[in-house]
Amino acid sequence: MTGVAPLQSGETYLLPERIADLTGLGEFGVLGELVAAFVGAFIVGSLMLAMTGVAGPWAKRKITAAFTDRIAVNHLGPAGIFIIVADSVRLLSKENIIPEDADRPAYDLAPIVIAASALLGFAVIPMGSGIHLADPEVGLAYVFAIAGIASIGLIMAGYASGNKYSMLGGLRAVAQNIAYEIPLVVTGMSVVIFAGSLQMSTIVEAQAEPLVTVAGLSIPAWYAIVNPFAFVLFLVANFAEVGRNPFDMPEAPAELVAGYQTEYSSVYFVLVYLGEFLHIFLGGAIITTIFLGGPAGPGPAELGIVWFLVKIWGVFLLTQWLRSAIPRVRIDQLIEIGWKGMLVLAFANLVLTAVIVALIDAPGL
Amino acid sequence: MATTMKHALDGETFTVEYPKTAPEISPRFRGIHKFSQERCIWCRQCEKVCPNDTIQIVMDDQRNGEQYNLHVGQCIYCRLCEEVCPVDAILLTQNFEFTGDTKHDLVYNKEQLKAVPWYKDIDPLESREPDRGAWIGEGDGEVDYQ
Amino acid sequence: MSTGIERHETEEALAELIGDRLLERDDHLNAPGFVIRPDDVQSVLADLREEAGFDMLSCVTGQAYDDRYETIYHLKRYADPTREASVVVPTATDEPVSETAEPIYRAADWGERECYDLVGIEYEGHPDHRRILLPETWQGHPLSPDYDQDKPQIVTLSEHANPIQPDHRESDTMFLNIGPHHPATHGVLHVKTVLDGETVVDLDPDIGYLHRCEEQMCQQGTYRHQIMPYPDRWDYVSSGLLNEWAYARAAEDLADIEVPEYAQVIRTMGAELCRIASHMLALGTFALDVYGEFTALFQYTFRDREIVQDILEDLTGQRLMFNYFRLGGVAWDLPEPREEFFENVRDFLDELPAKVVEYNDMVTSNEIFQVRCVDTGVLEPEVAKSYGVTGPVARGSGVDYDLRRDDPYGYYENLEWNVVTEDGMDNYSRVLVRMQEVEESAKIIEQCVDLLEEWPEDDREIQANVPRTLKPDAGAETYRSVEAAKGELGIYIRSDGTDTPARFKIRSPCFHNLSALAEMAEGEYIPDLVASLGSLDIVLGEVDR
Repeated sequence: MTGVAPLQSGETYLLPERIADLTGLGEFGVLGELVAAFVGAFIVGSLMLAMTGVAGPWAKRKITAAFTDRIAVNHLGPAGIFIIVADSVRLLSKENIIPEDADRPAYDLAPIVIAASALLGFAVIPMGSGIHLADPEVGLAYVFAIAGIASIGLIMAGYASGNKYSMLGGLRAVAQNIAYEIPLVVTGMSVVIFAGSLQMSTIVEAQAEPLVTVAGLSIPAWYAIVNPFAFVLFLVANFAEVGRNPFDMPEAPAELVAGYQTEYSSVYFVLVYLGEFLHIFLGGAIITTIFLGGPAGPGPAELGIVWFLVKIWGVFLLTQWLRSAIPRVRIDQLIEIGWKGMLVLAFANLVLTAVIVALIDAPGL
Repeated sequence: MATTMKHALDGETFTVEYPKTAPEISPRFRGIHKFSQERCIWCRQCEKVCPNDTIQIVMDDQRNGEQYNLHVGQCIYCRLCEEVCPVDAILLTQNFEFTGDTKHDLVYNKEQLKAVPWYKDIDPLESREPDRGAWIGEGDGEVDYQ
Repeated sequence: MSTGIERHETEEALAELIGDRLLERDDHLNAPGFVIRPDDVQSVLADLREEAGFDMLSCVTGQAYDDRYETIYHLKRYADPTREASVVVPTATDEPVSETAEPIYRAADWGERECYDLVGIEYEGHPDHRRILLPETWQGHPLSPDYDQDKPQIVTLSEHANPIQPDHRESDTMFLNIGPHHPATHGVLHVKTVLDGETVVDLDPDIGYLHRCEEQMCQQGTYRHQIMPYPDRWDYVSSGLLNEWAYARAAEDLADIEVPEYAQVIRTMGAELCRIASHMLALGTFALDVYGEFTALFQYTFRDREIVQDILEDLTGQRLMFNYFRLGGVAWDLPEPREEFFENVRDFLDELPAKVVEYNDMVTSNEIFQVRCVDTGVLEPEVAKSYGVTGPVARGSGVDYDLRRDDPYGYYENLEWNVVTEDGMDNYSRVLVRMQEVEESAKIIEQCVDLLEEWPEDDREIQANVPRTLKPDAGAETYRSVEAAKGELGIYIRSDGTDTPARFKIRSPCFHNLSALAEMAEGEYIPDLVASLGSLDIVLGEVDR
């Protein structure tokens, strides 16, 4: 690991530890570290919620408007950003209508599961500028596992609503998630082969090396550049996983009204909606971390968080672009692409990666 | 996809910010009615031609006009009343912004109909049927000879 | 086959074919009318279809006289719609029962249901003898003479199945109500579907939620003025002028009014502008159904439709409810200054090709779009003909049928343009047909603008001299249709000598096209059902009337 100085040295200096050191909480032993961890989680959680809850929907409206030659929100605040405040007041003050046939605990839990699963995922993402909550050795596996919980939330929402459209939406969500989870994880494995580790910090560091240096400009060894095929595969599988166009089958407003979220209103709807946005951003964060060098970028290491956010927003922009421009495929076609196409390609990619790794490691290169 | 990006980047929009920017109204546009009592000869042709009984005229026993009521909420803006009127006493201005809290507020009597303002001083009749007499500027509000 | 049809070219030959089943002749202004007995319906229609080549049941009209009920089957040929025949089936007032024509023409299924519902004629042997527009529990038949028009009715839900009642029966299939409030039904359409997984096993469109008694409103209006505002409101998405033309054509035929040539050109131009606007909307909403909400395509089509509507607003004074046609012409000449108006139209026409290229980029050449639309919602031409399907839907199935060419009216004969057909029979072909028709309409408009620009100033007659009160001869009947944006829009009018029609019947293209939905969508997936529905481009205002 030579070349550009790694952002974090071998032993990662995590945010809770930093908080503990700064505030002196570390002196109180385990309890202090626990408090520091909560504070850290709170900071990251708030950051993500603010980004998804406030900036996300606003940006979605603005971006979609740009693609469709419209103006979009522009009355409240600069460029209409305060519409989100007005919207949240409106949504939160609405009556929470719960269908007669709803299966109560499941119906109530589903929005929380959807939102929480995404928030938990952010725990292991290194966001640069020292914001990194936890760095377990199984980081990548953890984040896939946590994000996958969301599909349980979807099926809960789907069946517990007692609505046939929700039911169909929930079933579609599950079919889709199963079909795309496997290619997603298998493609993710190719990164593990490159980095030789599941630990997020190691994966980020491994991408910091320059791949080639041309005329003083060094192109970093981001896995998106080393193996663009895997990157594209992962991107596609990720869109399917978070249910974005052209794979927004579980919602498919024209077909299933709104799929699993048809019966949700008021606060629950906010949670479901937020959960969806969180999942888009979590997907973006995963892509950023394992393919785009995480928080790496020109300038001092303190700018890491900025670069990290820029990359996440880049992915978000792409989702909105696709949403404006691409038709959605049919559910059977989607499943077919998943099992017959993506899965095969994912394994092919695994082999390809092994070859690339062997070539890089081969003496003489 | 490239097409959409091109549209996103050229920054052009085709929607207008409505209350701030008023949309352009064609001079022929058919909006709310304006009535001129000094012109009206109470021939009741408008009442007769109206396809859905929007116009109601009340006369006394000497056949003098007493009331001229028009339900602008029920009106379908077909402009037949203007077309059949022999003296251009009723015509449709280009005003399109009128509101009422209840549907009864939209029943206009002749005083309200007389007070309907001209839209940007465009004579609607002139643009529709240039050979018919126009009375732009007349009857703005208070004028009442009877 | 062709020789057989030619043999029955003349009216006498047709009368001979019907033979002694013919009771008397009742000629309509548009076609020979043959009166037959109620129990001969199937045999006569079968002969006319097989022997004389009348493969299209354009419309079924039911009406009540003082002494009898009457069903009229308006027959046409897809190959040559000017060859028409009316089969008139009178039935007694006390027992209005007639034989169904459903085994001969599938189009009679919904047509006869409507006659039963509104007029009260019963059809023996009809496979699905239910009301169609009014609720199941409605009392009486509104167009029958003994019906009390002023009596309000309460429609109970106890007999009418409660659509949101929980259903705990066990079965392998699932019943799903799509609509009446569903994002993809383009209005208040209710499709009762039975699903097996995601596959549609059975579907039954339930219409009538937007029934506004349009026929009866027209029966109460005077020919000269009061009917014309209403056609705009049948197909209310910007094909107003096309609808007005349907009424104008029928009424002008009935009252024998000549329309000045100059007015015909303006009419043609206005109608084609409406067609562009309507097809733009069809394309945009189809994109909504296939792409998802708020796609770029939807907005782009709306942007372009907006330009058309601005032009129409300049011309007619309204954006949707034009009321611009008059019997014998149009209401006004082109707006002054004429040059500016021509320039606006030309600007629009000049920019259109680039936009069509853009649409092709985004839609028809998009691979996911092709995967979604090719070979879904297949409608075979023979099936389409049997259901009386017309318009872009029929032309997308390869049925070469366009009244603008086959039964010329207006100024179309004198202009250069083509009828677009595609042989794909699927959703994709229907989109292609609409997009190419936009280009053809642009051609027509361009030629009209050329003509209007050159038109000598002293010859600009916009309206024929039509009496203020129009009273066509008592007993005159006619059925005339025009090519509206969605297909053949026909009007049947019977005059009783007064200034209002005695019977005013609308043959709605959407109504007939929608009846073929089951053929297109059964056995396919829900998304295909939604796409097929979108590709039919129905407007519920016209289906329900």
